[in-house]
Amino acid sequence: MILADLSRSELERRLAGPGLRLRAGPVVTQIQSPLGAVADGVALHYAAHPIEGSDGFADFFVRVDRPRNLRRWLHPQAVFYIDGEAPFTPLPLDQAFPLLEWGLNWCISAHCHQYLIFHAAVVERSGRALILPAPPGSGKSTLCAGLIHRGWRLLSDELALIDPATSHVIPLARPVSLKNRSIDVIRAFAPAAVLSRPVHDTTKGTVAHMQATPDSVRRAAEFARPAWIVMPRYEAGATAALTTLPKARAFMEMVNGGFNYSVHGRKGFEALARVIDLCACHTFVYGDLEEAAKLFDALATKS
Amino acid sequence: MICREWNGDIVVFNQETGSTHLLDEFAGIVLRRLMASECGATVGELATALAHGQDAREQQESKQAVSAVVAEFARVGVAHADAS
Amino acid sequence: MSDGLRPSITRALRDPPALASCNLRQWEALVLEARRTNLLSRLAHEMAERGLLDRVPPAPRAHLVAAQTLAQGQADAMRREVTYIRKALARIGIDIVLLKGAAYLMAGLPAARGRLFTDVDILVPFERLPEVEAALMLHGWFATHHSAYDQRYYREWMHELPPLRHAVRTTVIDVHHAILPRTARLKPASAKLLAASRPIPGEDRLRVLSPADLVLHSATHLFLNEELSQGLRDLADLDSLLRHFGDDPGFWNELPQRAVELDLARPLHYGVRHAARLFGTPVPGAARSNIECLAPPPWLDGIMGALYERALQPVAPGEPGPLTPLARQALFMRAHWLRMPPMLLMRHLVSKILRVDHDRDHSRASPDI
Repeated sequence: MILADLSRSELERRLAGPGLRLRAGPVVTQIQSPLGAVADGVALHYAAHPIEGSDGFADFFVRVDRPRNLRRWLHPQAVFYIDGEAPFTPLPLDQAFPLLEWGLNWCISAHCHQYLIFHAAVVERSGRALILPAPPGSGKSTLCAGLIHRGWRLLSDELALIDPATSHVIPLARPVSLKNRSIDVIRAFAPAAVLSRPVHDTTKGTVAHMQATPDSVRRAAEFARPAWIVMPRYEAGATAALTTLPKARAFMEMVNGGFNYSVHGRKGFEALARVIDLCACHTFVYGDLEEAAKLFDALATKS
Repeated sequence: MICREWNGDIVVFNQETGSTHLLDEFAGIVLRRLMASECGATVGELATALAHGQDAREQQESKQAVSAVVAEFARVGVAHADAS
Repeated sequence: MSDGLRPSITRALRDPPALASCNLRQWEALVLEARRTNLLSRLAHEMAERGLLDRVPPAPRAHLVAAQTLAQGQADAMRREVTYIRKALARIGIDIVLLKGAAYLMAGLPAARGRLFTDVDILVPFERLPEVEAALMLHGWFATHHSAYDQRYYREWMHELPPLRHAVRTTVIDVHHAILPRTARLKPASAKLLAASRPIPGEDRLRVLSPADLVLHSATHLFLNEELSQGLRDLADLDSLLRHFGDDPGFWNELPQRAVELDLARPLHYGVRHAARLFGTPVPGAARSNIECLAPPPWLDGIMGALYERALQPVAPGEPGPLTPLARQALFMRAHWLRMPPMLLMRHLVSKILRVDHDRDHSRASPDI
């Protein structure tokens, strides 16, 4: 059963009551929230995602709700709860869905140490994973959002999950988060893309989420083998260009973007080395998304 | 100490500190030379070992470069200076 | 798996093979409870030791594996941190008595296995505090809790320096000069603890408390600490220590006597009782009687017992239990009462409540990713 099979009232009933059990790749989260903004966001972005029954196994229990203090009447706010604790400061109520998404990112990166987790986007073609590690502001989310509308499957836009034993990259196929200019860029680049209404004045500026393509969600149980590590950088007016990145440097870039690399210690070092062995490593500059997509087409065909 | 090498560049995992480091080609050569010598080596010995057909000035530069690399090794815990 | 009074995580830890009959729903509740009580990695360890991990269904097994990885990573980090601390304090020629997790790990005690570690706690003589603080700051640790109130709270009223955080590694060290505040009603003598401490074989300048003192400190920390959220985990530590040292009959003779000598009889009584109740700690009959004699008057014993039972129960998933927070509150008040005289207590509690939001806003992160 997928979320779209539920009526809106049933969706709201589950969210407000016993909880909605949503699957994203290997992770099942029970979500509770009485907030309309959360119901809207979930209904839009997770429409194609599987819903699990209560006799299964949920990995995390989260709640997005108004805070339980007097402030709730003064400034409408939303709080993210995991296991009954609230690790983040409250956000304005209209940011409730982005708060859920950021909270879910935190759950995974803080707990899922059965994987090596890196701050990177990952897309796939022909069973091969293109890993895009990049610090914030490098344009990786825009690039990722663009590529999945030009023949690539989305695994994740934020969290690259790698099985240390097999080097397989594991999909989540969750919504892609876009900021500020990127929102308009993607709207123009992929008119078929489904975007939420932008939320303004977040700590990251204006934020919107883009639905993962139905194909990405349908195939969220299919892992990919790492084939390329490409560090993107957006530069207005630049011609798209791929430059070889020495593998040892790619290794260090991944280490710098690791969420739990140090937790894995020596095993993490060795597992990452095996991933680097498998990958062609590049840096990438681009100024135009269409040009970028063509270049990655060529990359996928050539190798 | 755990190392991996690609095209002459070496990445090192220091089990004592839990840190990971990148050594460029030259540092990698120095490290290998150091590891090959059974009871350590002085900066002078390392520089001499690496100096093939170098003139005096080149040897001096080589020695300085080796010094710098060894200092970096000490800083990141890859090698320890022995006061002897 | 959970019956009303006994949390299922304790039952699981007492009988890991029985988990083979758990369905997914039961595993789900167990993993959640284990995570909330900070005992997931201990459960993973107990199962791995018995070769039972492979029989766990894949979805819950992933959580156990993740917890093992985390515990191993933290143990490695803790070892490194102790090395750095030893180096920093070498110049002042002091022997460092490790406490709690750091002690269990460096002394190779079973209590360390499957445990998560955060701060390092050490015990040093009161008169050497200034030197220790100076040496640590020279090596990159800096003071936290800057407000005049906090500084006074820690230095004058509690038994430690304000926690020191390392500038580069962000690790935290708590430097204690006593295991209870100077202002507390109970008065265990630090000099006695230090005198009875043992060197750790193979570890230069590192010491741990004697077996009886390790147990007493664990019980004391649990029952007089403000933060009871770690109660069950601390009790698990106590259970592990009692089992490990309990093989030696001399230990059971010494323990109640030492408790009385250090004025820690009540914490020992509560500790042993609840460890036995929840974790099935084996306690020889004679020792049991001796420790029972340390109980408070029956009316107080009954109330405290009931309160602790409630407080040590983890709250069910998704439901804030109405009674448990109240019980926790009562115990919170009591813990403070035992640590601070009434006037100071009032001032402290009022100040703490007023500053809670301020502290929390600063300590909680904004979601960044």
